[in-house]
Amino acid sequence: MGFLAWVEASQLADWVRMSTAGYPSMITLHAFGMAVMVGISLVLDLRLLGRFAAIPTQALNRLQGVAWLGFAINTVSGSALFTAQATSYIVDVIFMSKMALVFLGGITAAILQPQLAKADSWPGGKTPGSIRAIAWLSIVFWLTAIVMGRLTAYLDISF
Amino acid sequence: MLDAIQDWMLTTPINELVLGYAWSWPTLESLHFLALCTLMGSLLVMDLRLIGFHNVIPLKAVHSLMPLAIGSFVINLITGVGFLFGAPYMYTENWAFVLKMILILLAGLNFLFYFLRIEPALIKLGPNEPTPPMAKVVGTLSLLFWFGVLSLGRLLPYLGIGGG
Repeated sequence: MGFLAWVEASQLADWVRMSTAGYPSMITLHAFGMAVMVGISLVLDLRLLGRFAAIPTQALNRLQGVAWLGFAINTVSGSALFTAQATSYIVDVIFMSKMALVFLGGITAAILQPQLAKADSWPGGKTPGSIRAIAWLSIVFWLTAIVMGRLTAYLDISF
Repeated sequence: MLDAIQDWMLTTPINELVLGYAWSWPTLESLHFLALCTLMGSLLVMDLRLIGFHNVIPLKAVHSLMPLAIGSFVINLITGVGFLFGAPYMYTENWAFVLKMILILLAGLNFLFYFLRIEPALIKLGPNEPTPPMAKVVGTLSLLFWFGVLSLGRLLPYLGIGGG
């Protein structure tokens, strides 16, 4: 038996699939984490792109921890949800695209967030071009990740 | 009366648009999810300031997020109404949906209370100035209501599936 088949046969997978609370509780936590991580990331991205200029960029520092808390919640709840259908998710083109986009979104967040603290040293308070480019990428990654996540429920395309 | 409205919804072109194409429902859902993220993101920044999490931000400055929050809410109102026109009975016969609507109403009243009674006194708060207890209560209630809305929305398919 392959690893993913073993995962899918685990007690955790069984709990997510079969119990009354399993799937609904994990999917709700997943919506919480998404709202927190993606919501805060998009606000930070937009700030770096010059919106909400009244908010001092470096003052948004403390939100990083909140955003990553959301990401952590989704790593845990997402892993639990994954176990329930591990062998079909792994060959699902839409699902795996979503995972790639979430991974890329996380990377852009990890690159951008340390920049917040340096914002007051930017000449004229202007976000450097490279940072702006990554902020745009971040927005694109998060938006498409969410669309792919939704489409996972509707499209069934296998590798 | 309520049944008449719902039966009418089923005859509208909106119903046809929402149900008639394979892409309609997933598109509405994607928009609903995207806007819920920007709504919750902007609310988190504003409410956490009220609660006192990041007092370095002047209170007036976090208000620049208000258009994003309101715009996101409007998107979710429009897409939500689309779902309702698509399958009115599925929602109205589900107690989780009714409770979700009540929570949105409470969140709205909470916002109105903030806007009329709390904000005028607070708007002058500069950086590092703490908010009064009432502002902390309003901020906490706002987050509780909206995360409640989010939970009930996500749980709709699993909770209170009625006679529909």
